[in-house]
Amino acid sequence: MFKKKIQIENTVRKLRFNNDEMTQQQLAEEVGVSRQTIVAIEKYKYTPSLDLAFKIALAFDMEIQEVFFINQ
Amino acid sequence: MNIKIRNTFAEITGASLAMIWMWLNLTEASLMTIQAVSKVLAQGIGGSIILIIALHIIFNILSSIITGQYEEDIDDERDKIFELYALQVSSAIFGISIVATLVLLGWFNLTIISGLIAITFSGFIASILSLLLKIYLYR
Repeated sequence: MFKKKIQIENTVRKLRFNNDEMTQQQLAEEVGVSRQTIVAIEKYKYTPSLDLAFKIALAFDMEIQEVFFINQ
Repeated sequence: MNIKIRNTFAEITGASLAMIWMWLNLTEASLMTIQAVSKVLAQGIGGSIILIIALHIIFNILSSIITGQYEEDIDDERDKIFELYALQVSSAIFGISIVATLVLLGWFNLTIISGLIAITFSGFIASILSLLLKIYLYR
């Protein structure tokens, strides 16, 4: 049985700009992580935990599936 | 360079300098007593801790002077994952080194002094390699 690697993508960068051009630092402070973690998430280099993903979605007042999704 | 990479560099520098100092003080290890060797190793380990703390402070002061802003060191879930990877690597290297040292001690009938030095240095090498892994992950 093989494991298919899934690529989780997100719209964090787009959402930041749609939210009065919120900076990475502002988002980081709001969800309680470092700016580097937000940078890594935006570049798809790091997939956040469910807890952090929910916090990010809540920061934009959106549902989690609207922020994070699987690229088929 | 972000604060994580800077702090990791400080740790690598501190550990490397302590290792070099110990190496220079153990060139005559075969002629030294076990008490003298243990003293050098204990001083090296203690010195490396103090040196790492001092370098952390110096690196951060220099960075604040150069950039003109204070960068807060926040530890989040990503940092914890990287810490865990680094710990796995250092534990594996250190574990293998201890077993190899013990086997070689018996096999080649080496002295306890050689074993002490080998185990201490393998600890430092394991630590440095795990820190290099952290830099690779933070790049």
